[in-house]
Amino acid sequence: MKPQTLVEKIFAKKVKEPIVPGSAYFQVPVDLVLGHDATVALLIERFRKTGRHIWDPSRCFFAADHFAPPSTPERADILNRYLGFVKEESVPQEQLFRGISHQLLIEDRRCRPGMVICGADSHTVMAGATGCFATGLGSTDIMAVLLTGKAILPVPETIRVEIDGRLPPWLFGKDLALEIIRRIGEGGAVDRVFEYEDNAGLSMDGRFTVSNMSVEAGATAGIFVPDGILENYLERRDGNLRQDEDDWLLPDPEARYAHEMLIDVENVPPLVALPGGLDRIVPAGEVEGQRVDQIFIGSCAGGRIEDLAIAARVLKGRRVAPGVRLVVTPASQTIYAECLKNGIFQTLTEAGAMITNSSCGACGGIDKGLIGAGEVCLSTSNRNFRGRMGSPEGLIYLASPLTAAAAAVRGTLTDPRDIFEEVRKSA
Amino acid sequence: MSGPAAKTIEGPALVMGDNVNTDELHPSRFFSLDDAKVREGFMQANADYNRLGQTDLSGRIILAGENFGCGSSRETGARVFVLAGIKAVVARSIARIFGRNTRNLGLPTLECPDLPEHLENGLGVRIDLDRWTLRLGSSENELPLKSLDPYWKEVIAKGGLMSFLGFKEA
Repeated sequence: MKPQTLVEKIFAKKVKEPIVPGSAYFQVPVDLVLGHDATVALLIERFRKTGRHIWDPSRCFFAADHFAPPSTPERADILNRYLGFVKEESVPQEQLFRGISHQLLIEDRRCRPGMVICGADSHTVMAGATGCFATGLGSTDIMAVLLTGKAILPVPETIRVEIDGRLPPWLFGKDLALEIIRRIGEGGAVDRVFEYEDNAGLSMDGRFTVSNMSVEAGATAGIFVPDGILENYLERRDGNLRQDEDDWLLPDPEARYAHEMLIDVENVPPLVALPGGLDRIVPAGEVEGQRVDQIFIGSCAGGRIEDLAIAARVLKGRRVAPGVRLVVTPASQTIYAECLKNGIFQTLTEAGAMITNSSCGACGGIDKGLIGAGEVCLSTSNRNFRGRMGSPEGLIYLASPLTAAAAAVRGTLTDPRDIFEEVRKSA
Repeated sequence: MSGPAAKTIEGPALVMGDNVNTDELHPSRFFSLDDAKVREGFMQANADYNRLGQTDLSGRIILAGENFGCGSSRETGARVFVLAGIKAVVARSIARIFGRNTRNLGLPTLECPDLPEHLENGLGVRIDLDRWTLRLGSSENELPLKSLDPYWKEVIAKGGLMSFLGFKEA
């Protein structure tokens, strides 16, 4: 048989007919459907008009993370309509109000290698770090999946990204995600899938950020080749739940790729995306001295335990610069509880941070941390589009949690390596 | 949502740049289940559109650069094109989810890799969906449109995904 990439392996296992990478479309059975209060709410009225029900409610992974809790009466109404639909269709409710859907998904034992996951949100791609095919779709596409159990998808061509070298302790998944986007371009991976082979030993938290931001280069998915790091993660998460060997899919060594890319982590400096899109990414040192009004550490791309832990390390015994607001939003309540237990919140609060409940929050311009005209925000989230976090006249820079914490202390953007060195010596 | 697509689509151009993202096309503060509010948000954070002032753009055809519609999957960002009366979108390349969302609502969203840069707003556009070509202004030149997979041709011809799948929506 012809050698196959990882995504081809996954599709070949699910689809009965022979698959052809490229543009042909296939009916692909879906293992899990991710949904949340905003995008599922958009389909409810049309769904009811079909007179049908969800094909298999047990395969729905539905969270409430956008309007959670709601900040306006209209959003409360949208949320309530969603909650009504969830009950009416007997969808499991244990994920509601527990944090950001994408984080909850990867914390759940149902998110596993070899699966096909479709989500009503572009950042569904994050789950690809667990070796599955996970992709974002709009509400009408998701409605079709909820009705039929299948998604109509092409088998995307694959871009292989090999991550090599000795990982510097100040380099994070966010820096690597930005490096990949910088090299391939903002739309450089449209209709393609990233297949990441990580020989540098990124943490799972870092990999989630890389997979998450695959969509910022336009990719359909971003899948890490399963390895020992994933195996340990799944063991910690699921206990001794046996891994199904058939689902532990790997690409064939002779597989053909649309494009191949090598990232040597030793040559990647801390990076920053300049405001207005992911098309201008520069070393943090190039924007040294840029004033910041708000730092946001949160979102499905930058609100994990690793992100909050490095922020706490930097801020321990230091203060957020006068007049600067630091907003911290843990991505899930599991992370929140861990931060309560291990002192991260104590440290961050003493430094002057404002901690919000686990939700999408400021990232989508929803609540708790919007910016006004002329304000500058440095965010660990995934998007810096004009107007995304509030006023179209506000500016959003993206960077790693370390770069964000260093900027919180200085009150200006800075290459975080100096401060990191200080932190390391004083520890 | 919209009826079955016509074979020829004509209208004045609304010209946009590269990498125009969903937050520019439809900022999240206009996310709503109320069509009137969704409609209000059309292109509210797009600088090119803001410069045009508040004009009625119904009947226009979008002409854009690379990676049009990148970003969020929020379908309000696609639905607003239908609500605003945009007849079709043609770009040098289209972001995946935006392309799916608009076609699923019956809007022809097409790629024309040879689309020239620096086009004028209001330029006459004629799309021929039989021959898969595009004509700009009074030019006799026909630009080829990138052929869509038969799946999408049928979805657009049926007026959207739900009627393609045979589900009633009204």
